[in-house]
Amino acid sequence: MAAAVSASGFGEETPPGIVRRLADRRRRDEATATIGMVVFLASWAMLFASLFFSYGLLRARTPVWPPLDQPPIPVLLPAVNTAVAALGSGAVILALRFLRLGRLRRGSWALAASAGLGTVFLALQVVVWVGLYRAGLVPSGGPYASVFYALTCVHALHVLVGIAALAWLAARGFVGSVTAHRHLAVRLWGMYWHFVGLVWLVLFATVYVI
Amino acid sequence: MAVPAEVLIAEQAQPIHQEPTSFWRKYVFSIDHKMIAKQFLWSGCIFLLLGGVLAMMIRWQWAFPYRKIPLVGELLLPRSGGIIGPADYQQVFTTHGLIMIFFAVTPVLIGAFGNFLIPLQIGARDMAFPKLNMYSYWSFFLSQLLVLASFFASLGSGGAGWTTYPPLSTNVGTPGAGQSLLVLAIFVTGVSSTMGAINYVTTVIRLRAPGMTYRRLPLTMWGLWLTAILNALFVPVLGAAGLLLLFDRQFGTQFFVAGASAVRGGGDPILFQHLFWIFGHPEVYIMILPAWGIVGDVVSFFARKPHHWYKGSAGAMIAVTVLSAMVYGHHMYVTGMSPLLGQGFMVFTLAISLPSMIIVLNWLWTIWKGSIRLELPMLFALATMILFGIGGLTGLFLGDISMDLYLHDTMFVVGHFHFTMAAGSIVGAMTGIYFWFPKMFGKKLDTRLGQIHFWFTFLGLLAVFLGQLATGYAGQQRRLFDPYQYTFIQGLHGLNLATSIAAFILFLGQLAFVVNFFKTIFSKEKDREQNPWQVGTLEWTACSSPPAYHNFDHIPQVLRGPHELSDPEVMKVLDRDWVGQAEPLPQGTAGARA
Repeated sequence: MAAAVSASGFGEETPPGIVRRLADRRRRDEATATIGMVVFLASWAMLFASLFFSYGLLRARTPVWPPLDQPPIPVLLPAVNTAVAALGSGAVILALRFLRLGRLRRGSWALAASAGLGTVFLALQVVVWVGLYRAGLVPSGGPYASVFYALTCVHALHVLVGIAALAWLAARGFVGSVTAHRHLAVRLWGMYWHFVGLVWLVLFATVYVI
Repeated sequence: MAVPAEVLIAEQAQPIHQEPTSFWRKYVFSIDHKMIAKQFLWSGCIFLLLGGVLAMMIRWQWAFPYRKIPLVGELLLPRSGGIIGPADYQQVFTTHGLIMIFFAVTPVLIGAFGNFLIPLQIGARDMAFPKLNMYSYWSFFLSQLLVLASFFASLGSGGAGWTTYPPLSTNVGTPGAGQSLLVLAIFVTGVSSTMGAINYVTTVIRLRAPGMTYRRLPLTMWGLWLTAILNALFVPVLGAAGLLLLFDRQFGTQFFVAGASAVRGGGDPILFQHLFWIFGHPEVYIMILPAWGIVGDVVSFFARKPHHWYKGSAGAMIAVTVLSAMVYGHHMYVTGMSPLLGQGFMVFTLAISLPSMIIVLNWLWTIWKGSIRLELPMLFALATMILFGIGGLTGLFLGDISMDLYLHDTMFVVGHFHFTMAAGSIVGAMTGIYFWFPKMFGKKLDTRLGQIHFWFTFLGLLAVFLGQLATGYAGQQRRLFDPYQYTFIQGLHGLNLATSIAAFILFLGQLAFVVNFFKTIFSKEKDREQNPWQVGTLEWTACSSPPAYHNFDHIPQVLRGPHELSDPEVMKVLDRDWVGQAEPLPQGTAGARA
């Protein structure tokens, strides 16, 4: 049996076609990592689903929502932010496309742009927070404020993690450790980034708009 | 003989890595699933002891209220000189429940067995994500430290019960850092569980050896895999509940605060119960599914028969997994829930007993007319069946709304969930420890001491939990500091006292296990039987005991199911009643193609 596995990895008795399948090892590893990421995102989707469930239940049992004596939540800036998040997701898609084509520098720039858009998103979010806080919406101001601050803050923390990861990937891209064949991390973090964007979309629709 | 293409591909996908030689890499920050399993086992066993001590304190209080705990009293409660006060008591029963569920049973059943067995039983060289596995253990360790730290907080540890229901668990009910630390610990252990679950789910999907189809997985694998799926999906719900509770406690948000202390109407304490039980009911099955799997395999191995209707058992486990997500409302019948909704939850709850019965009947049919070998794992497996059986049957009382209205929050509930989660899960885990100990450490545990441990455990658990059921049926509420303040409970003091004495005996009986464990580990005896139980699953037949760092020199090509025992063809050809899952029969025999 040992003889069958020669130094080159496969012996003379190797069945036809196996050379090609052995060469597919990277694709198999990537599939494994992708499945892991999907399980993780499904798991984390349950976390956000629970937060939205809490919001729905609190809102359902409150007669007037939003409360009349609370400052109104702005819609314009968050709408801009939705566009920013969409652009950020687009930038990751673009980055992946460049990386696949082997245009590594452009890919890295696209990743950096995505991280930058994430930062813009957070900055606008801070503007919204500060404005509302100054207008008198404080976290301890009842369930309405609780829902607003808790959901946006948990989401913002996820954005922060995404920014750090994308910036790190961009930096690795500029020094050349991300190549056309080795960019699994970009794909996985891209999935995460889309997920965070999707959560924002639900958050924007439920917390800000309706 | 040609190496099959699938094996070559599998071996190339999982190359053999050099075993690390440095102490830190080998024993502490190890990425080897077997070492991580042992770390979980040690952590879990130490906290099992801690949770056990806390349980003894509860029993002491109910047997001898306001009396000084003898011998160790001053050590446990230095401030009161060994007398359990009401506040201490709150902390004792709260941390007993939390420690047992999240920090003792979960790490042993899922952390230790999951990590140890999944790669070995499916024929993989390690987990899909070994580093994630290491992070999973160390975040779990951190959560244990947080629990310990909570005892040293200025107002003591948390005291809101293991369910941490608000408003008791908010700052209004339980001020102080202790409760916050406990909630944080639950969140961190949840993160650890999620990491583990991602690993388990992916590993079983991707790294099964060639020929190891889903229908050839040992039932233990089914149990652990379904558990991992439930963990991945429902632990984050608990995470969300804990997070919001922490926000309430630390930042003054009002998700769960209501009534006089609330601003603008406040939130809703019942919301927490929803979140908690959406997680909490699957959690019950998270803790029992691995035990079911282990018992399923062990009864087959020690009855020397293939498991009866294997597909039925696996399918029933899947059905239980799905149903477990749809019944959480039965914990909340008395919260003023709509009767219609309650009825729906009741129907689903009672429906779970159907697949559960398939599993139990399959165990019985497996044993029926088997050549039973009453070795230690089999004894514990049979005990699990009986104890879990009582737990399951008492569950029917509680699942029924009209009965639950009377029994809710009594000791009957306590008896019920101790029979399932404490007796069922822990004795199931003990089955696993006695069965796989030779695989983990290369030596079999001593039979005499094991039998002593068995009888103390089985009879002890039976006596203690039957006592709980009886007091509950008589009307004793759970969690009372001094039940005898109520006249109608005073008559139950004798029963409580007897139950407590049984509990102390049960606790002392565990000494036999501790002695056995250390005696065997440190014995010089080199009794390394490769397959002491004579069974066919991969961990016993395709790798050495204890396994090499890379588990399998060659990844096995699996040819048959896990319970191929007493096959007449095999007995004729090999002259033994078992055959390895990956063991080819000699050419020319009928089973060779199998």
